[in-house]
Amino acid sequence: MSDRTASRLTRILAMLPWVIANPGADVDEVCERFGYTRKELIRDLDLVFVCGLPGYGPGDLMVAYVEEDRVVVDTADYFAQAPRLTAAEGLALLASGMTVMATGQGSDVLASAVDKLGTALVPEGHDILTVDVSAEHDLGSVLRSAVIDGKVVEIVYTTLSRGDTTTRLIEPWTVFTSLGNWYVSAFCRTSQAERIFRLDRIQRVIETKERFEPPAAPPEPEVRYTPSEEDVVATIRLRRPAFWVSDYYPVEIVSEDGDSRTVRFSAYDPSVAAQLLVRLGGDATLLEGDEVRAAVDQLRARLLARYSL
Amino acid sequence: MRNVLERILNLLAFLLTANRAVSAEEIRHTVAGYDRENDQAFQRMFSRDKDMLRRLGIPLETTTTGSLEIEYGYKIDPDSYRLPETDLSDQERAALWFAAQVVRIGGQPTGADAILKLGGSQLESGLEPFAANLGSDVDVLADLYSASAEHRLVSFHYGESKRTVAPHGLGHRRGHWYLVGSTDRGTRVYRVDRISDLSSGEADGFVRDPDIDVGRELDTQPWEAGSEEPVTATIRFTPEIAWWAERRLGREPLERVERPDGSLDVSIEVTNRAAFIGWVLGFTDQAEVLGPPALRQAIIEHIAGAA
Repeated sequence: MSDRTASRLTRILAMLPWVIANPGADVDEVCERFGYTRKELIRDLDLVFVCGLPGYGPGDLMVAYVEEDRVVVDTADYFAQAPRLTAAEGLALLASGMTVMATGQGSDVLASAVDKLGTALVPEGHDILTVDVSAEHDLGSVLRSAVIDGKVVEIVYTTLSRGDTTTRLIEPWTVFTSLGNWYVSAFCRTSQAERIFRLDRIQRVIETKERFEPPAAPPEPEVRYTPSEEDVVATIRLRRPAFWVSDYYPVEIVSEDGDSRTVRFSAYDPSVAAQLLVRLGGDATLLEGDEVRAAVDQLRARLLARYSL
Repeated sequence: MRNVLERILNLLAFLLTANRAVSAEEIRHTVAGYDRENDQAFQRMFSRDKDMLRRLGIPLETTTTGSLEIEYGYKIDPDSYRLPETDLSDQERAALWFAAQVVRIGGQPTGADAILKLGGSQLESGLEPFAANLGSDVDVLADLYSASAEHRLVSFHYGESKRTVAPHGLGHRRGHWYLVGSTDRGTRVYRVDRISDLSSGEADGFVRDPDIDVGRELDTQPWEAGSEEPVTATIRFTPEIAWWAERRLGREPLERVERPDGSLDVSIEVTNRAAFIGWVLGFTDQAEVLGPPALRQAIIEHIAGAA
């Protein structure tokens, strides 16, 4: 109820100033601009017509109606300007514009829009907001055009946890960024399954002539970790300097006292946990998990061999 | 719903034209739509309507109505109510609308109401082969953003300690939002998703430090984020990942040597050894610290002590 009230009020308070500033506005244009159907617009104008200032007589109420496909609004000068943006609205819109600019996908028009909006929101012009999403310009645009054209591409991809590089045929669905990295979601023909690939681990993209039928509703572009029965599980005790792990990884906190936190870590590949444990060094202790133990031993041996010890 | 909408529009029209603070009693007896018989019913309605106005971003102030400061009234300043002039063209609004469609903050698509207030646009949406998700709670970001713009000191819990900070700005880097602020002990950077129990002080509660550049504070790599004695570290990357490591470096190394077998040696300046070791180990055995000897020894000990 209150969500609908809020949206209707916002739309009314946004539409009135525009109609006041553009006398004789065409019904279709107002509808298109403010996302109204004709019926909804007339319903809102009828509502405005019975509102106004105390006294609430003919001279006190606002005038609002449709005549010969023109929208007429009068005696509503106090609503001649739209309400300002809430801080959340302003921030979200500005950050969205800056994000698109940072990806290298923005136009000059957007750059100027971001500039005008930023100045309107914070007149002193301090650079109090910066967005960097580290674009992968070259590969991103090649993959994006493959998405638009529905073309199958071949990628050379490195899986770091196993240290191997493979060539795969994929049907790219969406190029997106999340939590600091760029990804392409795709149907991978080589593994016959839906997959998400990190762009910075793709060495090369080779376009093919073959087309694919995109899914009617591709899944939300999101990096998700879904635990499954085949996961390997490890119980790890973290010392305070390693507590950040429970913010970054989908772990379950088993117990906690002042200086240590015990977590259950599951992953589809034991080398993911092993890599983390080696990185944490003395700040983490593996309590349970034989497969992960073996993977840690193996990785440590590989590393020490690398340092010729 | 129609009654509620009418009443709120009447209330807003009245407050925008009143030019003074008006008491709840005056509103009750002047503005059409309020219950004049039942006190409780009036209080309920009026309190819901105030919440609604504030939710729409309308600056409803509570001030004293007389010199005695015992009676309170409500006021909307028309200048603070209205959207500042933005001078956006239709094309610019459409470009912002596109950006709002493809970028998510805190998982939520945002921007439709903002675009309406800015003058509307063709609000069509289609499947865009591009999307970005910037994480974090938009309300916390918005509070920090306003506090930075209006120079309000902020206090919050960060981990287990309480901080008071003069906020200078926000930035998004590598998947997270950060707050840059000045404190008694110098410039500090905080991760927004670890901030809780946030409250802001009065406007103009501090003077901005002109030397703080939000972007520069955030563009440090982990191995640079420290104040240790600088040391020049040399790393060798295998041919397999050399291309990727170079991308990850994100800057020109001090020295860069491509070797005949395809492996790559780079030298960088390190002022945070622990962070440097963590970063290098992220490359598993595809990277090796060649020197200096003390750093090489430190990484070997780190590996040997793992798990």
